[in-house]
Amino acid sequence: MSSQSFDPQSAASSGSAPPALPPGSAPYVRLPKSPGLAAFLSLFPGLGQVYNGRIARAFVFFFAWVGSIYLTANGHEFPFAFMIPFVYLFNIIDAWKGANAANARFLGGQGEPEEQPEIESPVWGASLVFFGLVILFSNLGWLDLERLARWWPLLLIAVGAYFVYASLQARKAGGLAPDNQPTYPRGSGDEPPRL
Amino acid sequence: MSRPGFSPEGVTFGVCLVTLGVLGTLANLGRIEILPLLRTWWPLALVLWGALELVDLWARRSSQGRS
Repeated sequence: MSSQSFDPQSAASSGSAPPALPPGSAPYVRLPKSPGLAAFLSLFPGLGQVYNGRIARAFVFFFAWVGSIYLTANGHEFPFAFMIPFVYLFNIIDAWKGANAANARFLGGQGEPEEQPEIESPVWGASLVFFGLVILFSNLGWLDLERLARWWPLLLIAVGAYFVYASLQARKAGGLAPDNQPTYPRGSGDEPPRL
Repeated sequence: MSRPGFSPEGVTFGVCLVTLGVLGTLANLGRIEILPLLRTWWPLALVLWGALELVDLWARRSSQGRS
């Protein structure tokens, strides 16, 4: 049995036309990413995201995982002990979904955008600079993080408030429901059929 | 982040690797103690990454404003 593979990207670059297919047969397209391989690589947190070409996410997952283990080992069991499995499993799921999204983009479908819109705001860069400086000052002895430790729940409040604000802004801006499904006026006749 | 040819995290990753290579060489030559240095100064990588993200964002916004 002979199998021919057709790579649309190389065909587009070389300008060659795909080989003619027998009627009724679907073309075989080699997808750029393997979701299974991405999930397997994520057994080491961040590696699956590197495979998907999402370096920023790889950094975040790796340091969230290592940081949670470090803080748990240093006596901050709550909430960081709970975060270890959460970060680990979320990292695997994210790698799987990222590979699927890359494949969907490759096929010209409506895949997940390559970068989240919120990462395009200055909040992301400013947060990195802020946390970097806080940790650096702590390392240099200019800031006592132990005295600030009791205020860490304020961080949860800030993050939660940001998510609420972002969701409200997205709903207001696009008229889209939070799960990116279009909304239809009740009884307008535009609703998709219920299955 | 989305500007073609420039990736803040890629630049940060490259700079970190170069720095680690230089420090590792100096440590192998007996000039420095690498672990205390890294333990103290690693957050500079976060600061560099964040600064590059901000610079990239401002550059993209200003180029969009010009066009």
